Amino acid sequence: MTRLHIDNLQVGYGNKRILNNISLTVEQGEMMALLGPSGCGKTTLLNALCGFLPIKQGDIFVGQRTISHLPAEKRNITMVFQSYALWPHMTVAQNIGYGLKVQKIKQKEIQTRVKALLDIVKLTGLEEEKVTALSGGQRQRVALARALAIRPDVLVLDEPLSNLDAKVRLAVRHEIKALQKQLGFTSLIVTHDQEEALVMADRVAILNQGNIEQVGTPEAIYHAPASAFVADFMGADNHLTWPIHPSMVGDSSVITISHTDVSQQRQCQIYFRSEDVSLSPRLTDDDKISGLMILGEVMHSAFLGHDYRISVRCGAHTFQANYQDNLPEATSVRLHVPAHALHIFDHPSEASNAPLSNAVSV
Amino acid sequence: MQQKEAQKLWLIAPAALMVSLFFLYPLCFSLYSAVTLDGALTLSHLDKAFELYSKDMLFTVIIVLVSVMLLAILSISIAALITLSPFRSVVGILGFLYRLPLFIPFIVAAQMMRTFLAKNGLMNNAFVASGLMTPMDTISFLGWSGIIITFVWKQLAFSTLLISGAMAALDDAQIRAARNLGASRLRILFGIILPQIAPSLGVALVLSTVTMMSVLSVPMMIGTGTPTMISADMAFRVDSYGDYHVANALGLVSYLICAGLAWFYLRQSLKDKGATA
Repeated sequence: MTRLHIDNLQVGYGNKRILNNISLTVEQGEMMALLGPSGCGKTTLLNALCGFLPIKQGDIFVGQRTISHLPAEKRNITMVFQSYALWPHMTVAQNIGYGLKVQKIKQKEIQTRVKALLDIVKLTGLEEEKVTALSGGQRQRVALARALAIRPDVLVLDEPLSNLDAKVRLAVRHEIKALQKQLGFTSLIVTHDQEEALVMADRVAILNQGNIEQVGTPEAIYHAPASAFVADFMGADNHLTWPIHPSMVGDSSVITISHTDVSQQRQCQIYFRSEDVSLSPRLTDDDKISGLMILGEVMHSAFLGHDYRISVRCGAHTFQANYQDNLPEATSVRLHVPAHALHIFDHPSEASNAPLSNAVSV
Repeated sequence: MQQKEAQKLWLIAPAALMVSLFFLYPLCFSLYSAVTLDGALTLSHLDKAFELYSKDMLFTVIIVLVSVMLLAILSISIAALITLSPFRSVVGILGFLYRLPLFIPFIVAAQMMRTFLAKNGLMNNAFVASGLMTPMDTISFLGWSGIIITFVWKQLAFSTLLISGAMAALDDAQIRAARNLGASRLRILFGIILPQIAPSLGVALVLSTVTMMSVLSVPMMIGTGTPTMISADMAFRVDSYGDYHVANALGLVSYLICAGLAWFYLRQSLKDKGATA
């Protein structure tokens, strides 16, 4: 297992460019998650890494060696596929041992290594089973063992858990993570599930429309998103544009903010998570509040199990807040978000600095 | 309830009637005619058929087997190129070209081959014109080799269509998985693709066999008279002697040859299924 370095990579189909100047380094023994919405180019990046797609520009290094122009079979990067991609006419042992057989390793050695791998992925005793007789979770573990058998330089996983049901997914997720820690392989995992990325990866790269938006530890990505897109994608589901246009605020609603980064002159986008909102059903006059304060009315509440997700209407805005009790419709409530939980970004059209009405107090 | 069941049977009656009238009745009648004379069971027609035409039967079997083998090799190669080749534009052209014979009837194919393969045909003329041969060196491909060439040319489209369809239906990720484990394209073809498409290959070859056994125009137009294929002998018995009994006996023989191949195929595919179950 070695370090993977991607330098200024461009990939496209025909004239359409899918990846723009991607640069990324995965350190030896590190698990990096590529996270992004559908169509952002995650899988294209994996295919380019594995040699299934030609690259237009840039370089891929594994250790000191450049592999950009090697055919797929010479790259020593193996992939775990979303569909498992096991060969149904072979047994579990034949599937796992295929790569070793291709490398012309002695049958005896193959048998020992397959046995050891089956132990690692907890499938001992299933050597002679047909893969079609296995469950989804077992199949994905066979696929993992098959990819690890040839001791690849880099292991890439293309949404390996998305075909599994919720419970099995959690189990396999932990198994892959534990295995990665135990064997220390360099790996790149593609997913669109932010929780999966946070739990499994040492570092996360957020991809959007063929560009990397942010690379960092799960904590950094979660607590300090570098762009509005990252904040939104990482679950900051409440959003408002500052300063607020008078047409967006109703008679009875008030939005006030006190934050060092926000002034009436600066146009910005504000994002925050519903779990960071503290909701109080009684309206209290508390002028000395820092952060964001919103007065509004309950639209509806949905039971989530642990608590309720309350939708609060404030003029033309709707905000989500978590609260321990169910609240009847049209209850007047106050929402408060502490300053540190606000993610503030410049508005894309910052240049047009048109003065707006002072319908809201700052 | 029972009344309803009976009503449902009426629904299939027209189709069943058509099948029995135009397929089952002629088949049974032909089998009956092959083994009876004036209502009494006899093997004399079959004896006569073997006595006169056993060489042609052997010729037919050899022609069909050689054609089927060539078909298998060629159509697997074309389908494999289409599935595995990295040169997508070449594959596009190949994918279009191989289908053309599908739309050409056997009799037209036979006529084309006659003018192409003859001693003074298009192929030899082209060689002579390009200076590769003198007119003295040219040989005619009419005869057994011409029959094989025509059969393979015509059936190639059909069997390649079935085989490349089966290959395209395989999950692309299976091929990619093998490639990033280090397998070459040839190894993937033999180790990953062929074992999985064997049933489709079997169907393509059995259906092609049955088609070749039943074609009359090709042996008549390209064959040199003797030995010839069973279908030409049957036509000859009927046309020249009005001898339906021996013609039907020959039909029975070709039916048995097909049935033998079909049995072999079914046994093989059942064995494979037994292994996977």
